[in-house]
Amino acid sequence: MTRPSDEQLHERWRDQPAPLLPLLHELHERDGYLSEEALRGVAKALRIPIAELFGTVTFYHHFAREPGGLEAPRVCTGPVCRLRGAGDLLDSLDGAVSMPCSGRCDEPVPVLRGSSTLVGLAADALESRPSPLPPAAPAGIEECIFAEMRTEGRAGLEGYRSSGGYDALKTAVLESTGPEVIRTITDSGLAGRGGAGFPTGRKWSAVADAAGDPKTIVCNADEGEPGCFKDRVIMDYDPHAVIEGMALAAFATGATRGFIYLRYEYPETEGILEAAIAEAEAAGLLGDGILGSDVDFKLYVRRGAGAYICGEETSLLNSLEGKHPFPRNRPPYPVTHGFEGLPTVVNNVETLAACAPILRNGPDWYRGLGRGDNAGTKIISLSGDVVRPGNYEIPLGLPLRELIDDWAGGAYEGRNVQAVTMAGISGGFLAGEDLDVDLDEASVRERGSMLGAGGIMVFDDSRDMIDVAHSAMEFFAHESCGKCFPCRIGTQRLTERLAGKAGPKELSDWLDEVRDLGETMKETSACGLGMAAPLISESLVKYFPERVAQHVTSVR
Amino acid sequence: MSDNIDGGGNGALSTMTLDGEDVGFTPGETVYEVSERYRREIPTLCYDERLEPFGGCRLCIVEVEGSHNPVASCTTKAAPGMKVTTKSGRLDMHRRVLLELVASENRDLDVDPMSGYASGEMATLLDRYDARTGRFLGMQSGTSHPDDPNPFILRDYENCISCFRCVRVCAEQEGDYAISVMNRGFGTQITTEFDGILKDSACTFCGQCIQTCPTGALADLKALASKDVPGETKLTRTICPYCGVGCSVDLMTRGDQVVGVLPAMDGPANHGALCVKGQFAFDFIGHKDRLDTPLVRGDDGQLHPATWDDALDKAAAGLLAAVDNHGRHSLYVVASGRAPTEAAYMMQKFVRAGLGTSYIDNCSRA
Ligand SMILES: Cc1cc2nc3c(=O)[nH]c(=O)nc-3n(C[C@H](O)[C@H](O)[C@H](O)COP(=O)(O)O)c2cc1C
Ligand code: SF4
Ligand code: SF4
Ligand code: SF4
Ligand code: FES
Repeated sequence: MTRPSDEQLHERWRDQPAPLLPLLHELHERDGYLSEEALRGVAKALRIPIAELFGTVTFYHHFAREPGGLEAPRVCTGPVCRLRGAGDLLDSLDGAVSMPCSGRCDEPVPVLRGSSTLVGLAADALESRPSPLPPAAPAGIEECIFAEMRTEGRAGLEGYRSSGGYDALKTAVLESTGPEVIRTITDSGLAGRGGAGFPTGRKWSAVADAAGDPKTIVCNADEGEPGCFKDRVIMDYDPHAVIEGMALAAFATGATRGFIYLRYEYPETEGILEAAIAEAEAAGLLGDGILGSDVDFKLYVRRGAGAYICGEETSLLNSLEGKHPFPRNRPPYPVTHGFEGLPTVVNNVETLAACAPILRNGPDWYRGLGRGDNAGTKIISLSGDVVRPGNYEIPLGLPLRELIDDWAGGAYEGRNVQAVTMAGISGGFLAGEDLDVDLDEASVRERGSMLGAGGIMVFDDSRDMIDVAHSAMEFFAHESCGKCFPCRIGTQRLTERLAGKAGPKELSDWLDEVRDLGETMKETSACGLGMAAPLISESLVKYFPERVAQHVTSVR
Repeated sequence: MSDNIDGGGNGALSTMTLDGEDVGFTPGETVYEVSERYRREIPTLCYDERLEPFGGCRLCIVEVEGSHNPVASCTTKAAPGMKVTTKSGRLDMHRRVLLELVASENRDLDVDPMSGYASGEMATLLDRYDARTGRFLGMQSGTSHPDDPNPFILRDYENCISCFRCVRVCAEQEGDYAISVMNRGFGTQITTEFDGILKDSACTFCGQCIQTCPTGALADLKALASKDVPGETKLTRTICPYCGVGCSVDLMTRGDQVVGVLPAMDGPANHGALCVKGQFAFDFIGHKDRLDTPLVRGDDGQLHPATWDDALDKAAAGLLAAVDNHGRHSLYVVASGRAPTEAAYMMQKFVRAGLGTSYIDNCSRA
């Protein structure tokens, strides 16, 4: 293949929707870094002021600005990989740099090299492997999203259609109406699986009712939360379920274009999605006049470049639009002022993947999958010190202990669970008696935490919780966008205090600072990152006061 | 999706409650704007009324009934029936912590008041909220550019609190997009393209970023250089002499020396904006080459001091001689762009009626 010129690349992307990220990626991959010359060309071609473009490029962790940068191995040093020797791996690989949790906690340690993911525990044992399938569900458990996923060939169109795939879309566009689709989704009780838990039917109906065209469906596949790797497995093994969910959302709301915003660290997934979209287009399931109806829906994949905050929906929209990815002030919300200021649905991968099965099997079926009053299922990405880490689709309301001990084989021989993180790390820790909690949003919130996107990392009694808390806070500090004072400075100060690098030596003063900082971050931060970060320090102090006292008085 | 805050103006009564008092508002106004009108003293650091509200400093938080967390009043639109509290123990506690935090990241809390128009904003708030406590100490943020070789703008980012007022004023007011935000989180840094110097960027040295900076991280190097000029600094409201726009300025003087220029934020023509000339080019005032009396060229070919009468006679004679020798259309008269409209009018009248030609122009026309 000949090397495309800057001009050819500008020409290719200039008139495409959301062109900045794909154009930068092409240049990045062509040259192995983003040169000053290439960036000046992009600024001209897309009419972005050069200072602004430069600033925006520096926001993303994975855009290299020195020759050879893209080829440097990037080793995950996330909370689980650290326990599996990521530090040694980092030291033993030539020119390696670290990256935050890259979503492979069920099979550590991932290393990104160029555009591929390798995994392994030592430098000479790295290999490229398909991402792990979810472990089988215990007998008697009915799944929604994973029900067919383990079937060979499921990722292809034929495999997907063999068990009713695209039937829901067909019925919808040929026999049903938008409002009927929305009613079914509303009745099913489906709520956002990306973290915030907003009722999906209400979101779709707000977009359907909002004035302004064209409308957009965005699939949030940024999955940057440490300890979360569920969206990856859905996209890798069931891409058509996501596509069908997006097409249904488009039909229900009148949207005509869609984007899958995929996190940078899933390069293989991009190929899988692109192939599935091409298949669906060829079969008339996407594009103009879906299945002979008058419904149009064009779908694009856009790849992020390494920024956790770009999973926050308004930051994501700014990123798609080629702007500096600070979160926006809300209201107005994306349902009325989303992509390019027009009505937009932003939904998580898991939320969208649940839609087709719900429409096929009915809202009561989905509701019935939960325990007690809880509607439906939730995928939990379970990792850390458990015998069988992996993605588990649980009935909402399942006790945490049951998941860890019965489903995942419990702690290692001779060890006990000391603490778990919730919502990846955004829910802080649960420990002690609070480990006896049911996994549904209300029950977890009663314990001062969140279920959120469903990442749970287990730490057994051999782990130092100060160290765990420090690495979690360091992540938040690394990923804080810098827009608002409480989070920009607060995550830094909490990290320094957990590292023992700064802060009062008197325990009571230390606790006062950490508490005041936490209160102000929780109540005044401009987005969920700064609000969630202090749950780490707060729950650490709550469950491990002696260890905290020892930490404060022993340092320096 | 919002339960309590929408754009307002849905035809309902435009009244809301501010600290228990019923107040009116115009749909589209923010809670901050309404509170300002009713003389509430809400602290801010990222706010500049000329710019789009940003919502970064979070000092302007207020409590809104029905909302769990306080909201930033600068980015929240007033809505009918909204019940807002602008002062409470909880708000004061948060504001103080936020101020203690910014104090903890900077090298200096107090800067020379000659630094710029808003340069004392942070220090004033630190005093108002008793926030000079030394809590939350840790690493300091920002990398200064003491080596940026321009004569006008100090770039001392060790005193920067990342309010981005400079970046926003440059984009929104000046339209230059010369500076931007680099990196993220605590590593956030104000930058030009490729982290270079201002001279190599799109900067026009208008100085607006200096005047909006609330900490003196960006400062007026020329005004700061007047340190050794004795006397109190006095401000005199006047109009920039350079062009016909008529930007209002406050001249800073010590004794009879002009030591700097502050743009007038309430100037009707400029709202705090100036260009490089109005902001920095005042050295001519005391320059040795400046003309302070008419000069007339004598038979020896040299210029000699003269009276106005002599000088005007000499000029009139020269103009008449040109008309006599070459006809009235041999003259072409250009008015200075620094002349106000009235003077330009006089010029054309004089040329048309007095010299008899319509060959006139103005140097601002090009
Ligand atoms: C810091 C932060 C990071 C987030 N990251 C993600 C993410 O990676 N994926 C996601 O779906 N939602 C993420 N969210 C939540 C989104 O803002 C949004 O609520 C969600 O995508 C909506 O989809 P849902 O209603 O289907 O959950 C994040 C939120 C915050 C505050
Ligand atoms: S809370 Fe953190 S991530 Fe969110 S806007 Fe503020 S600085 Fe950015
Ligand atoms: S001096 Fe004017 S043009 Fe230059 S950076 Fe400041 S605001 Fe922008
Ligand atoms: S230099 Fe001044 S105006 Fe600019 S971000 Fe820093 S503190 Fe704000
Ligand atoms: S003035 Fe509202 S957040 Fe700064």
